[in-house]
Amino acid sequence: MKMTRRDALLRTGKGFGALALAGMLEAAETNPLAPKAPHEKARAKSVIYLFMHGGVSHVDTFDYKPELQKRSGQPLSVELAKTIKTSFIHDPTKAILRGSPWEFHPGGKSGLLISDLYANVRKQADHLAVIRSCHSNVFDHAPAIYLVNSGSQFPGRPCLGSWVTYGLGTENQNLPAFVVMSDGSTKSGPPAYSAGFLPAVYQGTVFRGGENPILHLRTPPGVTDSAQKETLGLIEQLDRSHLAARGEDSTLEARIASYELAFRMQASAPEAVDISGESEATKKLYGMDDPKTEDFGRKCLLARRLVERGVRFIQLYSGTNVGDDWDDAHNDLIGSHVRMAGKTDKPIAGLLADLAGRGMLEDTLVVWGGEFGRTPLAQGANGRDHHPYGFTMWMAGAGVQGGRAIGETDEFGVHATVDKFDAHDVNATILRMLGLDHERLTYLYQGREQSLTDVHGQGEFSARLTS
Amino acid sequence: MTRRAACSTRQSRTRPNRTCLRPASSPDEEIARLREWIDAGAEWSVSQAPAAAGSDWWAFRNPEKPAVPAGATHPVDAFLARKLAAEGLSTAPEADRATLIRRASFDLTGLPPSYEDVQAFVQDKDPQAYEKLIDRLLASKHYGEKWGRHWLDLVRYGDTSGFEQDPYTLEAYRYRDYVIRSFNDDKPYDRFVKEQIAADEIYPEEPEARVGTGYYRVNANRDMLFKVEDLNRVEKLTDYVDTTSKVFLALSVGCARCHDHKFDPIPQKDFYRMQAIFAPAVNDDVFLEYNSARFYSLAWNTRDFKLRNIADQIKTIFGDYGKKLRNEKLQAAENPQEVIDAYDTAKDERTPRQEELVTEYEDLAKVGNDEIYAALSQEDQERIDAIEKRLVGLFKNYGPPPMAPGVIDVGRESPRTYIALRGNPEAPGDEVGPGYLTALGGGDIPDPPLHAPTTFRRKHLAEWIASPDNPLTARVMVNRMWQLHFGEGLVGTPSDFGLRAGKPSHPELLDWLAVTFVEKGWSMKAMHRLLMTSDAYKRSSVESDSARTKDPENRLLSHFNRRRLSAEEIRDAALLASGDLNEKMFGPPVVVPLDEEELYGITGNPSDRWVVTWDASEHVRRSVYLMQRRAFQQPMFQVFDAPDGMATCERRNESTTAPQSLTLLNSRFMVERAEALASKATTAEAAWRMAFGRAPKPEESRLAEAFLAKQKELAGSDEKARVELARSLLNSNEFLYVD
Repeated sequence: MKMTRRDALLRTGKGFGALALAGMLEAAETNPLAPKAPHEKARAKSVIYLFMHGGVSHVDTFDYKPELQKRSGQPLSVELAKTIKTSFIHDPTKAILRGSPWEFHPGGKSGLLISDLYANVRKQADHLAVIRSCHSNVFDHAPAIYLVNSGSQFPGRPCLGSWVTYGLGTENQNLPAFVVMSDGSTKSGPPAYSAGFLPAVYQGTVFRGGENPILHLRTPPGVTDSAQKETLGLIEQLDRSHLAARGEDSTLEARIASYELAFRMQASAPEAVDISGESEATKKLYGMDDPKTEDFGRKCLLARRLVERGVRFIQLYSGTNVGDDWDDAHNDLIGSHVRMAGKTDKPIAGLLADLAGRGMLEDTLVVWGGEFGRTPLAQGANGRDHHPYGFTMWMAGAGVQGGRAIGETDEFGVHATVDKFDAHDVNATILRMLGLDHERLTYLYQGREQSLTDVHGQGEFSARLTS
Repeated sequence: MTRRAACSTRQSRTRPNRTCLRPASSPDEEIARLREWIDAGAEWSVSQAPAAAGSDWWAFRNPEKPAVPAGATHPVDAFLARKLAAEGLSTAPEADRATLIRRASFDLTGLPPSYEDVQAFVQDKDPQAYEKLIDRLLASKHYGEKWGRHWLDLVRYGDTSGFEQDPYTLEAYRYRDYVIRSFNDDKPYDRFVKEQIAADEIYPEEPEARVGTGYYRVNANRDMLFKVEDLNRVEKLTDYVDTTSKVFLALSVGCARCHDHKFDPIPQKDFYRMQAIFAPAVNDDVFLEYNSARFYSLAWNTRDFKLRNIADQIKTIFGDYGKKLRNEKLQAAENPQEVIDAYDTAKDERTPRQEELVTEYEDLAKVGNDEIYAALSQEDQERIDAIEKRLVGLFKNYGPPPMAPGVIDVGRESPRTYIALRGNPEAPGDEVGPGYLTALGGGDIPDPPLHAPTTFRRKHLAEWIASPDNPLTARVMVNRMWQLHFGEGLVGTPSDFGLRAGKPSHPELLDWLAVTFVEKGWSMKAMHRLLMTSDAYKRSSVESDSARTKDPENRLLSHFNRRRLSAEEIRDAALLASGDLNEKMFGPPVVVPLDEEELYGITGNPSDRWVVTWDASEHVRRSVYLMQRRAFQQPMFQVFDAPDGMATCERRNESTTAPQSLTLLNSRFMVERAEALASKATTAEAAWRMAFGRAPKPEESRLAEAFLAKQKELAGSDEKARVELARSLLNSNEFLYVD
């Protein structure tokens, strides 16, 4: 009788947890998250994507427009005003330009201009390649968020993080490959980090707050760890004799391994989010000593800890649909942006400094962006409206040459004009930084080899970022 | 381009078996073809490569009924036998009866058999016992719930329309119920197709049939907050073309929106000719019964007028008290009058300083309803009491309207349809009229008669699809049924019968089944009976060594394909095992209670977006009746690969992940099932019967006894030990897989 691996496992007679199903978890044919080689040499091993959703005003943060300051209070030319669609500004031809209430100052050795809203990030300016010429034509939140994440304004397609984990797997099998942290409610809901038609294993795993960040990680109330372990042991025994009666079946074996993995996650995830071992200086660096920045600071610190543990793709969402919201800028630009930048500025600066200090910035790509910017035109007395026609993102780390801006908007910040990049170009670039060719990263679905960028992404600009 | 093809085929080769869809021909052949075409100048037009390649494509020719090969009693087996013999593959023996009844029960009803059902079947001496079983299951009301769910996957069903606001499609469930009823009634498939596509034009006087046009209404639809109505209309029509062509014809006409189809003989013009068929359709409320619907509207009309009067009173009372209480609180401010003035100034007229003050004192100025209630004078309290009584009176008979979402045509004249150049609706090209697909013979849909109330375009389409002469319709549906019974379709891509689909694994069998389907009056139940009485369906799922080497994907069906339960089956089976399942059918979608951490990430406020059904007995109903939000999928359904309702789903992934195990182990729902099971099953034997429908084997009893003893020590009591045993059973592969 031939001896299968299963027989070997059965004959060792070891109980649950004692025997790591190493081959099972690492073998590419049974474990879809096993690490895979990229198409080409990668600059980044991991990505931390800081997604400021709700709409951050580009002309008040990273895209200084002296002409806008000068012409504040005047209308746009009718010709230019007719080229944009707005949500709440009834008629752009009748609205007036509004200068930024914040001052811009040069940061770092490079002297990159950044406003006082991001005064701490400004100190890290030399790491930042600011892309001022992002653009789309989608001006309401959910579709724009889907577009940036998945290449389509309609939900249902796999998003960037899912494609990345599909393409590369992950280094640490005891933690999810793709982690999402948000302020709770988002404007787009889970479709923004969905695996779409890719297998569910590539879905973003939402880290909740607290010591058990993964859904259903906690042993049920009243069940002790030893009781849980005993129960897991019985499940394994039942499954092994079930399998023995059926011969070889990689799916049944994978299911047994999935309990092993779940068990390991129950130990690994709380460890990953336990920051009690971090020094006070580190916590302070992330702003955890200030109630205003404590929450986002913790998430940024967790992001670093997850990268250290081999997690592939981490996306942090700042802003919610109920509560603190960048989008409150409709009626209150100053209030919303002071509040939201206040929550994120120090933590992001701390993250960059910490990653750099630990030598981790070399192979971690940090991306900052959102679904669109805000109108240089005033909405009402105190606001700015949605604005997808020209807006800003920035990237740092993984060989990105910082301290400079790429691309331009026009004199008022209305349209991207020079080196325009759409969502596909940006996504193709992020993939390329990870060593993935957006045209080769495909998945057969409904009779077609699907990809993140479809037929687009020809404006991939990683070479410009890194040279 | 050849580089891209080379790489993508490499990707599909390395994909795990369960989700692998085979390419049409070998990758090398494909690449060679592409190279040839590029070398020839890469001309791209329907008149060239695709049309030439597609005109004689097997799927576009009518099926002819082949003779059944000799050598087997059941026609299905007769067709399968030749290839098995050619490969020298022996077939697995018939599965034992306990396995067969569990397999047939899950396949037809989505539920496991009870212990008693299994025993009765195992002991049934009648030679027709199996056939009787199939008939009993087909007659079960649960059949429609299971197969209706398959259909809902295809028609991208949801109870909300998605995006940021994710609003309710309030009466979507009437379409869901219509689907379940249609399956239970064994409505002939051709009729089922016609009702959904065009009941308003074909059966205008039959409200039950017209509910089928909810097909057009249960899709995703971008909310209308902003000025995107024109774009929404384009997307809606695109969805109709894409979904209709894939679901009924297994053709991806949607791929021809921007250019001629890259693989199939579908020119861009065909996309717009099909779009023109749907162009005149507008939303309509189908009156389930004319008079009651009219009375409902009239009552609504009167009630709303009364409500406005009541609301005005409430606003006045609450506004006055609110302001008074607010001003009292603001006395604590540094300069109370300045702040009060700021609040009293209309939003648009506030100075920047006032705006600042309003923000600064936001928390202090907040006045809750409870505070107002506490402050009410005797007289105002009485006014509010009276209002509350009136409200109860107004709503005591309130309920959903006797109407269903559907469509009708805007009239005899349709909006015009233009080819959108490169798919851009803002760049209209030539005007096109409604017509049929070129690859299937083409032809125009005629203008309607002079005084017609509608264009009849969808009627023509429906009759063309639901015709025995359409080469695709019957084949596509029997192939879907085959896939759902055997795990893999005879055509591996059930919603793509185009050139990329390749040849069926058993072409004659597919054609024989398609013709038989039509001969049997398009009866789906007849087809279930036919497929399930074959030896192939009854085989054991144990794979032989030779099958593993010679036919690792089991395309020849030497044995049965084991499968994991779907998300719904897991939940429903757990409810049945714990004795909690509420078998009530139909009605508004049920919202089950979820823990805060499970609701994490929902768009908007959970009190608006997750309104838990007040009656707890509803929470344990079958999964097909649960609320399906598009912007928020229930975690358990999401981890077990249920579709998100964004686009038609022709097959579900069958993934195996650690989050699934965490859900089964630790979620409140599963723990409650284990507790319920344990409270009813006081012995290990009883627990086995409830969870697995069988008694434990002696060694299993010993294992269970040892476990219970140990858990009593660890968990603290017999009850808790039994809960742990129940948890173990509900997490085991025997529970989660069907042999």
